[in-house]
Amino acid sequence: MQEKITTLDEAIGLINDGDVVALQNMATQAAPMALVRELIRQQKRDLGLVVLVGGMAVDWLAAAGVINRLIGAAVTMEQFGLCQQYRRAVEAGRIRVEELSESVLNARLGAGARNLPFLPTRGAIGTDLIAQNPENMKLIEDPFGGFPVVACRALVPDVALVHAHRADCFGNVQYEPTILWPDIGIMPKAAKHVIVSAEEIVDTEVLRRNPDRTVLPGFIVDAVVEVPYGAHPTSFFPNYGYDSRFHRDWTKAAREEEKATAFIDQYVRSPASQKEYLDAVGGAAAIERIANWDEDK
Amino acid sequence: MTSDWRDSPDASEYGVDELMITVLADQFQNGDQACNGMASFLPVAAFMLARLTHAPELVWLASAAGLDPRPERIPASTLEAPLWRDSVMYIEQYGDFWTFVLNGRWIEKFCVGAAQLDQYGNANNSVIGSDYHRPKVRLPGTAGLGDMGSIGKQLYYWNANHSPRTMVEKVDFISAAGFLDGGDAREHLGLTGGPRIVVTNLAVMDFHPVSKKMRLKSVHPGITVEEVRNATGFELLMPESSVAQTRPPTEAQVRLIREVIDPDEMRKRELRRADGTSAR
Repeated sequence: MQEKITTLDEAIGLINDGDVVALQNMATQAAPMALVRELIRQQKRDLGLVVLVGGMAVDWLAAAGVINRLIGAAVTMEQFGLCQQYRRAVEAGRIRVEELSESVLNARLGAGARNLPFLPTRGAIGTDLIAQNPENMKLIEDPFGGFPVVACRALVPDVALVHAHRADCFGNVQYEPTILWPDIGIMPKAAKHVIVSAEEIVDTEVLRRNPDRTVLPGFIVDAVVEVPYGAHPTSFFPNYGYDSRFHRDWTKAAREEEKATAFIDQYVRSPASQKEYLDAVGGAAAIERIANWDEDK
Repeated sequence: MTSDWRDSPDASEYGVDELMITVLADQFQNGDQACNGMASFLPVAAFMLARLTHAPELVWLASAAGLDPRPERIPASTLEAPLWRDSVMYIEQYGDFWTFVLNGRWIEKFCVGAAQLDQYGNANNSVIGSDYHRPKVRLPGTAGLGDMGSIGKQLYYWNANHSPRTMVEKVDFISAAGFLDGGDAREHLGLTGGPRIVVTNLAVMDFHPVSKKMRLKSVHPGITVEEVRNATGFELLMPESSVAQTRPPTEAQVRLIREVIDPDEMRKRELRRADGTSAR
């Protein structure tokens, strides 16, 4: 079997300007943030982003001018508020939003994964989402005589970026028991290429002990990078919680362009490695805080 | 802790957040399955209250994923792990959660919070402004709401900031399908279910059975009909009989909310946050 282990630099080097990149993410959860930072460091341009629910990753990519379109169901940092940089970029017309309901996004990715032209859903009927997006959603008759359904056109991202608990050198990817959002369940299967960051690279023997926890087979994975705390500042259950302080600091900085740029310079562009990044965000004290799931209410 | 809830007297002192929680809790019974999404402190508190009182067998899918969890108290996020601790099952989202929801036999009720709500119960959490691609405000997005209005669910709206900005004649964008333009518009598209009630910080509304226009049902204690009218951006229908007063929470309900369910007062964040643009 082919070995897939590589570096952040080489893994993200596989992505071309203009690509459609599917990103594992929830408001404050499970985003492959080290991969996201590398997109910014390599100054990728004109990327389209696919998210179920995007959080700080989307805000950073918007602030750094990496993305010019977004396909997704929502973008918000939940308790930390709207993503201000993203919001402003959309309002100024710099990012075009193709908004989908969750079942429509799932259907589009499901069709992409199964090489179908479309899959139907009963969701979104009656909303303005359909009229807003005639290229990808069409109300069609049920060929068997029932009520209409929405045909959701296949979506095949160029690359999916995911973060996992562990992987082996062949790209077999394992998850600890946790809530699995659709972006691990379907996104990587729809995308042409899959890049994985993992908390640890382990021997295949470790995966064999719990094959039920292996969520992606190595044959669909292109690159694997070991990145401890690679989802920081988002949470990665059960290993660590989201970093409240860091989210608040970003939320404050994101209100002004100069401060947002300075923040990204400090935490994204300057650190040359994951170790330097972790030192920059507070080192051992920050890690202890998130490892204890301190919500810092 | 739950022994005295049945004969507990009305509370003399309570917050409007606590009133809204009890109204929402009353909508959920044994045999129902409830689920919640992001930033949903009031629905989560309502589910937890119902389970501690009249509906101990109410099934709850926390964060739309953690089956019957036992959170210690309401945490700072209604999506993160502290809410779904001790779940019986992690319900995988892509395959299982959406199967259960789309099927129609389960999870028949859904609580919706949104930035704008109109007279026919359509909700907007997408954009403020008339140009979708150059909006005045880009809101978070439809997320699951875009489905829940179309797949037969009974919708229970909550809005902690009843104002002409949030209660509008026509939403700028339909992110969740209510009664569309009223009458039998839903039936024409084959849609079942739809909006049931709207719970705000001032009143409870329902919808006229024929025109499907929003109608005042009850005003909260201390609130006048005039105040509700003035805070509503459209002509609110009046009930045929006199306007009722919303039943206040009981002492036991208030105590459970304050001491057991939400001692950190996460529910108050709904009120602070209620600027019409940051729901969800």
